[in-house]
Amino acid sequence: MNIKNINTVTKTYNTHTNQHENYMVTLVDSNIVISVPLDESNRHYQEIQEWAKIEGNNIIDPGA
Amino acid sequence: MAITRIGKPAIADVRGVNFRNIIINGDMSVSQRSTSSTGISGNGYFSVDRFKHIISGLGTWTASQSTDVPTGQGFANSFKMDCTTADASPAAGDYNVLAQIVEGANIQHLKKGTSSAESVTWSFWVKSNKTGTYICEILDGNNTRQISKSYTISSANTWEKKTITMPGDTSGAIGTGASAFLQFNFWLAVGSDRSSGTLSTTWTSTTNANRAVGQVNLADSTSNEWYITGVQIEAGSQASDFEFLPTDVNLERCQRYYYTHVTGNNQHIGMGGYYASAYVTCGVTFPTTMRSAPSLEQTTGTEYYRLYVNNGSDNFDSFANGIQQATTNSAGIDSNSGVSGTSGQTGRFVTYNSSSKISFDAEL
Repeated sequence: MNIKNINTVTKTYNTHTNQHENYMVTLVDSNIVISVPLDESNRHYQEIQEWAKIEGNNIIDPGA
Repeated sequence: MAITRIGKPAIADVRGVNFRNIIINGDMSVSQRSTSSTGISGNGYFSVDRFKHIISGLGTWTASQSTDVPTGQGFANSFKMDCTTADASPAAGDYNVLAQIVEGANIQHLKKGTSSAESVTWSFWVKSNKTGTYICEILDGNNTRQISKSYTISSANTWEKKTITMPGDTSGAIGTGASAFLQFNFWLAVGSDRSSGTLSTTWTSTTNANRAVGQVNLADSTSNEWYITGVQIEAGSQASDFEFLPTDVNLERCQRYYYTHVTGNNQHIGMGGYYASAYVTCGVTFPTTMRSAPSLEQTTGTEYYRLYVNNGSDNFDSFANGIQQATTNSAGIDSNSGVSGTSGQTGRFVTYNSSSKISFDAEL
């Protein structure tokens, strides 16, 4: 996964606590899905933050 | 009976010998993701563990774990880069690097940023049809500093051993936190933005133009290929023999950064059950403490996963809720999609397709 091949990013919530738990990332032309914890030292987390800064990219938030 | 005294130097020697290689998987023996990956044209980890491709606009590549090795040196594998789409005229900003990023906690003995900073010596075996000048670089992204040295591939298609010593850096200490690192780069091709100056062979603040001066363009033909193995980078000004580690130790060191939990059909994932009638949760414990809370990577498809429960089974496509309560040691992987059962019933999760795969990634 890198910024160039991210397709969608969606927030996922913990069913029990209703807290935002991770990001689900789908990739372009791939059946691999990556679930990224909210850890600032995780490289995928860092890449999502950079991806979200690009105009036109939006993190989907379905709500808890 | 006389007792032979073990002198201090002997003890010091023993301490110095173990795990002296800063590079993990330098013999290219571990390749959890894939032994071969095609179509590489951007950043990422694709084949041999711990080695990252950093590519922008300079060709398309197949990276693989090869059995082409230097004769009589004890290596079983090498890392092969094979150019499949050429770029003979790099744009100014293009680059192609094979790197290993080393976490700060593992390089404190280099004493970087102190007056006692240690020299660092690289040694490796390399082979390519493309002869000429190549660049090795240490990049300190935390302090915006770097140093480069060149080596020459003299004979086409011939394994050659190279040794390079770089002085210690008395500026720019490296911490031990999660974002502290040094990056060890093997340059393979570069545009003028990073090669138009004078090669910076002493530690200095990073000036891009001085980083890879003289680097040949390995991307200029689809006939080009480049092999490397026996990569060892160690403190001091002398290269020692390559430090071969037991295969289990080498694998465990790699698993701190990437861990393939299951791949293929009918593999045990873990125990769990129905948290609710339409929600399953499964616990996974990692074999070693990972660098950070990892990402879950999973392949998805129709009925890729199965829960055995109550003398029956429940098939589903993915762990749709992803990783939960992730730590560096363990995590839950959950799904609320395509599952149906009795809340409270427990069971065992397995893979249910030959393409099923679950991995955890905590790379730098």
